[in-house]
Amino acid sequence: MTLHALLLAPFETLDFMRSALVACLALALTNGAIGTLLVLRRMSLDGDVLGHAVMPGAAIGFLYGGPSPTWLSVGGLLSGLAVGMLAALVTKDRGRGDTGLVAFYLLALSLGVVLVTWRGSNIDVVRVLFGTVLSIDHRSLLQIAATTTALLLLVAVLYRPLAVASFDPVFLRAVGDRIPYQAIFIFLVVLALVSSFQAFGTLLAIGPILLPAAAAQYWGFGVAGSMVLASTFGLIASIAGLLVSYHANLPSGPAIVLAAGCLLGVSMIAAVICRHATAAMGRST
Amino acid sequence: MTRGSRIELRDVTVRYGRHTALDGVSGVFDSGSLTAVVGANGAGKSTLLRIIAGTIRPNDGVVLRPINDGLAYLPQITAIDAGYPLTVSELISLGGWREFGAFKAPTAALRKAVAEAAQTVGLTGRLHRRIGELSAGQLQRALFARLMLQDASLILLDEPFASVDAQTSDVLLDQIERWHQQGRTVIAVLHDLELVRMRFPDTLVLAQQCVAWGPTGSALAAMAA
Repeated sequence: MTLHALLLAPFETLDFMRSALVACLALALTNGAIGTLLVLRRMSLDGDVLGHAVMPGAAIGFLYGGPSPTWLSVGGLLSGLAVGMLAALVTKDRGRGDTGLVAFYLLALSLGVVLVTWRGSNIDVVRVLFGTVLSIDHRSLLQIAATTTALLLLVAVLYRPLAVASFDPVFLRAVGDRIPYQAIFIFLVVLALVSSFQAFGTLLAIGPILLPAAAAQYWGFGVAGSMVLASTFGLIASIAGLLVSYHANLPSGPAIVLAAGCLLGVSMIAAVICRHATAAMGRST
Repeated sequence: MTRGSRIELRDVTVRYGRHTALDGVSGVFDSGSLTAVVGANGAGKSTLLRIIAGTIRPNDGVVLRPINDGLAYLPQITAIDAGYPLTVSELISLGGWREFGAFKAPTAALRKAVAEAAQTVGLTGRLHRRIGELSAGQLQRALFARLMLQDASLILLDEPFASVDAQTSDVLLDQIERWHQQGRTVIAVLHDLELVRMRFPDTLVLAQQCVAWGPTGSALAAMAA
């Protein structure tokens, strides 16, 4: 097989592969920024819970409007925000934080599955859980482009306070800045999850947000640098995942998440090697 | 000379669930006073600072302080995420947040002030290092430099000398002394009673309630009794 057939032909010849690629690339741009803030805030578990929180609303949207991307997204957004607020109330007492979050994770997931199977089929359940990145149509693509553009603009405008609030939220409150950055950030995370979930489903939507960002943390850049690297990793994982899924006939969403996982593994190993090399150089001098 | 804030507590009560952290505390921190807050673990010392800083609200009672006065708050060093990808220079620059805020670019004057504050706390040459590369003492020095840039009339310090060496303690104590001489109101949560006796004119002894509040000698005597 030539390099062209391996890397370019699938995107040249197949419309659905091109649509999937464009969608994944648009998502990778915003996921890098949101994922980096999520990792820096040590809110990975919260992100996972919010990912599943989208499920009941998406299911209600599915019952109301069928597999329409608009209804799925509106339902998912409302349900994600509702569960985000409820989780914030429950986890106010940090001693019970983990239990509260996991309870929401399980309840949201179960409720979503029950609602979809009530009117739909097992295939519908699989589509909502794992997404359908290869069946993204023009309308869905426009919706993803609009959401990711809005998200990128919001992150660009609010970059500095979001970064400072991730590091020291008490500082901002003490200097009299009363804007609720935590609530704004939760809204941005839910928006990112809703735009991702058509492609990756509610179970995997958090993967392309979290894994490239976690991998980028090992390379020692600042906040903005980590966001750029996370987006780059997201782009690489998307291309690699789509190609592997095409050539090996594997499901695309999980293949992209696995590719991002490989980048995380490589980054971890590279960080360990760098640390040992630096220590060895220190000893020799 | 900076005019320090006058803080008045009226019957302040704070509860975390069923646990009462502060129970009906009343009293006044005079403008320009330098007060140590002492007491056993769980006595409500950190809660008192958070209440004054406005990061939590009392369940009962009120805290009266001028809303336009600047406030600088140093939480316990364990509350700071030292792994965050931030340089020492960026951390200290945050002290100028009221000037540049969310959208303006930091000015040349701010950069100069950052360099001067770093020199005062002995961090010149480390400005471009990551905060994760600093020792606990150096990180505390950087946080003090951030406080200096805040130029606040009320400064709240939560265990500023925990996990720092004697040399760093001396540098930070000198800075606290300078703030006091400049007329700022300084309130510090401390455990070292000997240090309190030597360097702090006023002391508040807490055990959820106010046990004693006044000149350090008499307050510590009441604590021992």
